[in-house]
Amino acid sequence: MQKIILLILGCSLIFTACKKDTPLTTNLTINFIQTVDGTSLTNPDHPTINTMIYTNAAGEDYSIQTLKYLISDITLHADDGNTLLLDEVHFIDISDASTFSFTYQNVANNNYTSISFDMGLDSSKNSSNFYVNEDFHSTMFWPESNGGGYHYMKLEGAYANDSTFYNTHTGGTMGADYSFSFSTLGIPGSSLLNIDDEVGDVSININMEINNWYQTPNEIAFSTYGMGIMMNMEKQMQLQANGSLDVFSVTASQ
Amino acid sequence: MSSLLQQVNNIMNKRVSLLLIIGILFSCKKDLPIIIGCTDSTALNYNNLATYDDGSCIFDTIIPYQPTPYAIVSPSGFPTMPIPENNPMTVEGIALGKKLFHDPILSRDGTQSCTSCHLQIAGFSDTNRFSQGINGSFGDRNASTIINAGWNIFNFWDGRVATLEDQAFDPIVNPIEMNNTWGNVENMLNASATYKELFRKAFNIEDIDSTHVVMAIAQFERTLISVNSRYDKYLRQELQLTPSELNGYVIFNTEKGDCFHCHGTEMFMDNLFHNNGLDIEPFLDIGLAKVTGFTSDNGKFKTPTLRNIEFSAPYMHDGRFSSLEEVVEHYNSGLNYSSTIDPLMKKLNIGGLQLTNQEKQDLIAFLKTLSEADFITNPDFTP
Repeated sequence: MQKIILLILGCSLIFTACKKDTPLTTNLTINFIQTVDGTSLTNPDHPTINTMIYTNAAGEDYSIQTLKYLISDITLHADDGNTLLLDEVHFIDISDASTFSFTYQNVANNNYTSISFDMGLDSSKNSSNFYVNEDFHSTMFWPESNGGGYHYMKLEGAYANDSTFYNTHTGGTMGADYSFSFSTLGIPGSSLLNIDDEVGDVSININMEINNWYQTPNEIAFSTYGMGIMMNMEKQMQLQANGSLDVFSVTASQ
Repeated sequence: MSSLLQQVNNIMNKRVSLLLIIGILFSCKKDLPIIIGCTDSTALNYNNLATYDDGSCIFDTIIPYQPTPYAIVSPSGFPTMPIPENNPMTVEGIALGKKLFHDPILSRDGTQSCTSCHLQIAGFSDTNRFSQGINGSFGDRNASTIINAGWNIFNFWDGRVATLEDQAFDPIVNPIEMNNTWGNVENMLNASATYKELFRKAFNIEDIDSTHVVMAIAQFERTLISVNSRYDKYLRQELQLTPSELNGYVIFNTEKGDCFHCHGTEMFMDNLFHNNGLDIEPFLDIGLAKVTGFTSDNGKFKTPTLRNIEFSAPYMHDGRFSSLEEVVEHYNSGLNYSSTIDPLMKKLNIGGLQLTNQEKQDLIAFLKTLSEADFITNPDFTP
C-alpha cells in the first residue's frame, strides 16, 4: 500500500517537473560602453589608440590611453516601490574586456521602471582601505593625505603632441564628495522593464560619452590642467557638473 | 504499536543474517579447518595458515605528520595575502623553505644559493647591477627584491609568472644562474636524511620532488614582510617625521612628485606595469611585451615596492642607477619619450618634475623613512 502511494507521488513529481519549458529565472546583464562622439572606444592595446583621433569641445585633439572608473550602487527600481541592488561597486578598465559587463543572476520578478547608479563612490564608501581586498584597490587608491579613498576615474592620454599628457583624475579632493548620482526616468528601449520568468534574459547598456566630460556647462581644455587636477577643487566641481548633465545614458533590450 | 512491529522486524532481520553466516561457514568446512587469524600478507602478524581474518592484522604504518598551520595576518592597508590553496602556510614548510633558500645544494656545483643574489642586507636583492651565475655569465636584469612579495600578483620584472612557486622554478635551472637540473636537485635532496625528514614533516611526502621544493621556498618568501619602518611608526603616531621628511611625503603623495600613482597604498606598488620613460626606442629590453606579445607593452616593467628602497640599490630593471639621487633626477629631468611611455609621466614635455634641490632632498628623505633596519637584519630570516 505504501509503495503504491510512493509510486503515485513519484510519478506526479516527474510530470510536474516536465510541465514547464520556459526559463525559470531571468538573468540581467549590465554592459558598460565608452564612446567618444558616439564611436565606441576600443581596447587601448589597439595600435591606433595612442594617436590623437579625438577632438574635445575646446578644439584640442587628443588620445585615450587609460580609462578606469568606478560605478557604485547600481540599483533597479520597481513600480511597486521595491528596489534591487545589482552591484555595490563595479570597476571598469578599458584595457580589460572582462570588466565591461557583469551579470546578475535570478532577478526577482517585477516591473522595473528605472535604474540608478553613482559615478564614483559617495562619502559613505570613499575612505582609505574601504575596498582593500578589491582588485581596484591599488589601481584607484587616492592618498590619505589628499583626503583618502579612491579615484572615481582615471582618464589619461596625449593632446597637442605625442609627449604632452592630460590626466583627468576625479575623486574626493580633500575629502569633498564629488561623486554624483544618475537615474533614468523609465528605461529607454523598454518603457517598463517587465522581468518575469517568461521573458528570458535582459541586458542594460550604460554608456559613458567621454567628450561630454569636457563640454557642458563647463568647457574644459586640457591645456588648463597644469600640474594635474587632483587638488583642483574648481576642476573637480566642473567635471562633476558636466558629468551629471549628460555623460551617461542608458538603453535596455529584452 | 508501530514500535513493537519494528522490534519484531529487527529480530527477524538478525535471524536471517545469522543463518546466512552459518551457511557460509559450513560451506567451507570440507576443504580446510577454520583457522582464525590475520590473513593479510603485508601485515606484521600475518598468519599464512589462517583461513578466516578476524581483523587482528597489525601494519607497520607511518603515522601522517600534521604540520602546524601558520597564519599570515595582513597588516593594516594590505589586502589578504593570496596563498595558493594547495600550498597552505605551515611552520615546518617555512622552516624548510628558509633552509633551502640559503642552501647552495640547489646549484649545479654547490656554490650558489638563492641568497647569493637575493641578499637580506639588500632587501633580498643583489647589490651588483647584474647577477653572476655559477658559470661566470651575467644576466641582463637586476635581481628583484623579496619584500612583501606575497602580495605580488606577478613576479619577475616582466611579470612572466604569477606565483612565487612558479618564480622559484626558474633560477635553479636557468643556465646563467644556478644551471642545475630538477632531476639532479631531487636526487641530491633525496640522498639527504635531513631533507627527507624535513619534507616529510612539512608535506607528508616520502620522495622529494621539484614541486615541493618550490612550495617550501614560496612559503618562506611569504614571511618576508616589512611593515615596521619609521613611516609605519609615523602612521601609528609612535613618532614624528622631520619637516624635510614630511615635505617629501607631500611631494610623493601629490601630483607634484606623482610617485603614488604607481607606488601607492601601504604596499608602495600597484602590481602593474609601466614605461617610466627610461629609454628611447628601439628598446634594448622590451619587458612586458616579451610576455604578452603586444607592441603596446614595449618597455613596460613591473612596479617594485619602495619599502627598504634605501638598501636595494642599484635601481630599475637593469640596475642602471646606483643611488636614489640618480633615480629622482631621472623623474626630475631625465625622462625620454617613447610611444608606450605612461601618460602619468605628465611633465614629460618639460623634461620632468622640475623640483628644486631642496624638494629632491626632501623626497629622498621621505623614501628613507620606508627603511626597516630590523627587516634586513631579522634573524628569523636566516637559518
